[in-house]
Amino acid sequence: MNTEFTELLRPFLKFAGTDEITEESRLRDLGLDSMREIELLFAIEDTFGVSVPDDKLVDSTFATAGGLWGVVEDLRTPVGGGSR
Amino acid sequence: MTAAAGYAPAVETVAEVAAAHAREADETATFPTEALAAMRRTGLLGLLVPAAEGGAGGTLTDLVDVTLALGRVDMSVAMVFAMHCQQVAAITAYGGEKLRADVLPAVARGERYLGSVTTEAGKGGHLLTAESALAQDGEMLRIDRAAPIVTGGPYADAFLITTRAPDAGSAARVDLVYAARDQVEVEVTGGWRPLGMRATHSVPMRLRGAVPQWQVIGEHGAFREIATTVFAPLAHVGWAAAWIGAAAGAYARVLRHARSEAGRRQFAPSSELVLLRLAGIRTRLDAAHALLRHTVSVVDDAADMSATPVQLLLNTLKIRAGEESFAAAHELVELTGLRHGYLTDSPLALERTFRDLRSASLNYADDRLRLANGALSLRDPGVRLA
Repeated sequence: MNTEFTELLRPFLKFAGTDEITEESRLRDLGLDSMREIELLFAIEDTFGVSVPDDKLVDSTFATAGGLWGVVEDLRTPVGGGSR
Repeated sequence: MTAAAGYAPAVETVAEVAAAHAREADETATFPTEALAAMRRTGLLGLLVPAAEGGAGGTLTDLVDVTLALGRVDMSVAMVFAMHCQQVAAITAYGGEKLRADVLPAVARGERYLGSVTTEAGKGGHLLTAESALAQDGEMLRIDRAAPIVTGGPYADAFLITTRAPDAGSAARVDLVYAARDQVEVEVTGGWRPLGMRATHSVPMRLRGAVPQWQVIGEHGAFREIATTVFAPLAHVGWAAAWIGAAAGAYARVLRHARSEAGRRQFAPSSELVLLRLAGIRTRLDAAHALLRHTVSVVDDAADMSATPVQLLLNTLKIRAGEESFAAAHELVELTGLRHGYLTDSPLALERTFRDLRSASLNYADDRLRLANGALSLRDPGVRLA
């Protein structure tokens, strides 16, 4: 996870305080609810220039910070490897 | 033939008992103790207990069938039954071996009616958060939980309680814990004077006590998953069945009255106005009932209950079944007029049904579900209809 991503997450996690956000951080335990989830999605799509497909818009995608980052990473990496 | 097919006589018995006491329970806002006793005696409390644990092994369809039937005579009894079944389903799906062995056979024997403690002051109806904590105290977990609304609480033999997990960093890490009545000190902290669903006797309570670790249902923090897979679907399906049942029961009473000799004089069955109104009410019931049965089939087949189209449908069922049932009751009052539709001593009991069904939009507020469905809709731009 890069700093840009964890800092983007922080305002959506009202219970995170100043604690470090790790790959294992459970987003819902830290205060992400279904109403904010959609705002987070828009923020991610705008910031990282990706479009999350419908089949990834499931509860498990938003379970942990690392899991969500994994989805973003996959979308940023063109098929065939290599990062932009 | 399903394992649950033999419950029909039990349903008939419980419905008869519930009908005999419905008016009194409504007037006094007291719990339908006679109907609960009949549920214990007939084994109906164990409808959803798996056959291996001594129950009827009933399915969601069985729950709907029974709740519809009970709702026809007393909506409160139907809600009490459906909410108990929701607790049984949670233990069946997520309880550890020891908890299942302790609770489920006893439920099947009619010895345990399970109450639900999920409401909490100060959280604004958020099911998925908890304010009061479960505290680790040696081997035991200490509970101190106040709840503003506990359906049938004073009559429950045990409770399923949501609390903040012992290791919780936030109010969003919620446990579901089983507590037998003799493990908690139960204090009723207020009264119950509602407009309708008066026989649910949903008083405020405070529960204090301690339970061993194995009485936590699922692992710590598992309530979110239990809510998605069991609590929310069974609440919405069960409530919808209770409400549609209540409206169908009222409609049946009006139709029987309209066909009687006295009724024919009042109603003039050849009147086009009467026929159009009767058709409109039937349409509401058929539409809500079809939505209920469709939702059950989606839940039965769903690979992932957290899938957006499934969550949307469940919320829609709750909202729509409540709206259509209440609208049907309202139109029945209009159709039958002041004497038969509005007076509290009319044998058609439309006034009671009308008051009962007014609660539907408030039982987990529709507005909260509409907001959730708005957010969920944005998660499903392809509009995959479940």
